[in-house]
Amino acid sequence: MALVTVIVFMALFAVFTFLGFGAAYWRKGDLSDLGQWALAGRKLGPYLAWFLVGGDLYTAYTFIAVPSAAFGKGSIYAFATPYVMVTFAVAMVTMVTLWKMSREKNYITGVDFVKDRFKSRTLAIAIALTGIVAELPYIALQIVGMRAVLIVMLSPYFPNSIAGTSEIALIISFIVLAVFTFVSGLRGAALTAVMKDLIILITVLVVVIYIPYTYGGFAHAFQLAHTAKSTVNYATLSPKLANAYISLFILSALTLYFYPHAINGVLSSKSSRTVRLSTALLPLYGMGLFLLTLFGVLVFAVPKALAIVAPAGGTANGTLVVPALISTTMPDWFTGVAFLGIFIGGLVPAAVMAISQANLLTRNVIKEFVPNLRPKTETTIVKWSSVFFKFLALAFVFVVSQTYAIELQLLGGVFIAQTLPAMMLGLYDKKFLNRWALFAGWLVGMSSGIWFTLVANNFKTLSTSLMKTPFGLLYIAATSLVINLVVAYAGSAIARIAMPRSAAVPSD
Amino acid sequence: MGRGYVPAALLLIIPTAVLLAVPLYNRLNPQLFGLPFFWWFQGLWLIIAAVMYIGAALILEHGDTDRGEA
Repeated sequence: MALVTVIVFMALFAVFTFLGFGAAYWRKGDLSDLGQWALAGRKLGPYLAWFLVGGDLYTAYTFIAVPSAAFGKGSIYAFATPYVMVTFAVAMVTMVTLWKMSREKNYITGVDFVKDRFKSRTLAIAIALTGIVAELPYIALQIVGMRAVLIVMLSPYFPNSIAGTSEIALIISFIVLAVFTFVSGLRGAALTAVMKDLIILITVLVVVIYIPYTYGGFAHAFQLAHTAKSTVNYATLSPKLANAYISLFILSALTLYFYPHAINGVLSSKSSRTVRLSTALLPLYGMGLFLLTLFGVLVFAVPKALAIVAPAGGTANGTLVVPALISTTMPDWFTGVAFLGIFIGGLVPAAVMAISQANLLTRNVIKEFVPNLRPKTETTIVKWSSVFFKFLALAFVFVVSQTYAIELQLLGGVFIAQTLPAMMLGLYDKKFLNRWALFAGWLVGMSSGIWFTLVANNFKTLSTSLMKTPFGLLYIAATSLVINLVVAYAGSAIARIAMPRSAAVPSD
Repeated sequence: MGRGYVPAALLLIIPTAVLLAVPLYNRLNPQLFGLPFFWWFQGLWLIIAAVMYIGAALILEHGDTDRGEA
């Protein structure tokens, strides 16, 4: 790796850091106040909101996890494209409803809504903890992505120790993330998100056009991929995986906006118009994801890049697909720009996620037990718990083999799916659903989800989120959600018959 | 339910309905720019969906303004 790359990377990172810390002084507010630190004072106009929410699409998931999975397992991971498309149809309806309710009743988190709608502390705390846990593997995925960039950039300087380089890369990624989040809060993330998205959009546009053009288009790459790995389907989907494919994209789409960090982003918007119009345009952002997925196939056409991803005699590391393609194809200075884009593309979303976790913990869990928390104490807890959660997230980095990093995001989806009956159906159901039935459904959904995941992976390293069912392989989030819904609706029906009045007018 | 609710719902649902029909597009040919049909068909729907969603957003926005909750 040329020195130029490293210098460009470092210089841009300095600018990024300056913006991140400078954010403390932008549209000045009292940073020890939680609303300021965590929601940027709800002042985000359409452009910043679009950047923040749209930018969330381009994370390590897009640049690292999806291409990596496509490289390892082929066309099944093309599901990322319909996933993005469906997501925004769901969001345009549900998020506008949630935004309007939140404005009216002053909710700051999705759990505030659940608590108010069902008047149940137990259910609200369960949903809050689920959100917190679900973010952990997603943050871990961002760390894996930051590490992938550093591995490709640093390995020429440590030629004899690939494992050592990987560890150094991991430690650097982690420290940068922890310090960044602690100091700047959501303002830092929002302001740097603009820089991140500009760099990333330039990178995506240049790379997805230039690289296929240079290496003789996609047809050639699909042939080489087929020759190299004849057991994997790249061009089309094996017909018996159709249901798996559908369950992956539908459930991923239903869950994306119900992650605490996504709700956080939506609630920072100024108006429902902002939410709706920015959402409608977002499928276009998905074009980059679509093309980056194809890089998992394209890498077979670039021998130098393939040598980095799958070294002769070594184990393949799919997470290196995009960084390797960039570094072996583009000019050195541009590689530096692109690498910085991918690096902060993991850093900023991870910070946003950690902030939303800490927010939930303080507001919806701790405050339930200690209602008279002083604002200063509250903010201190939020900041330190965000550091603590990042250590927990780090643990998830080790439960997955790098090539299948996407499974981390899919695991988060299994958890978030179990909050949908209360969070999503609760937006529209006015009477029928009963809080205890919802809680029972959640409990069964969570336990079955964890159990199915362990069994599907033979209690070993996470490498799949699909389970065998009579309908073929299905995404575990789907099967557990169905069980959850059956319990929630059956329970609510029983509650209505048993106590027809009290079920409709609950009080704790 | 406001005016234009049904057309807006259709605009939002059609793209998903099309991609749920996996056998419809799970095929190799015809190819475009060297991409199998399975891949480019889905990419194309991203663009179509964006256009349809904007249509839906404008219709719904109009409904909100009429009810005075812009």
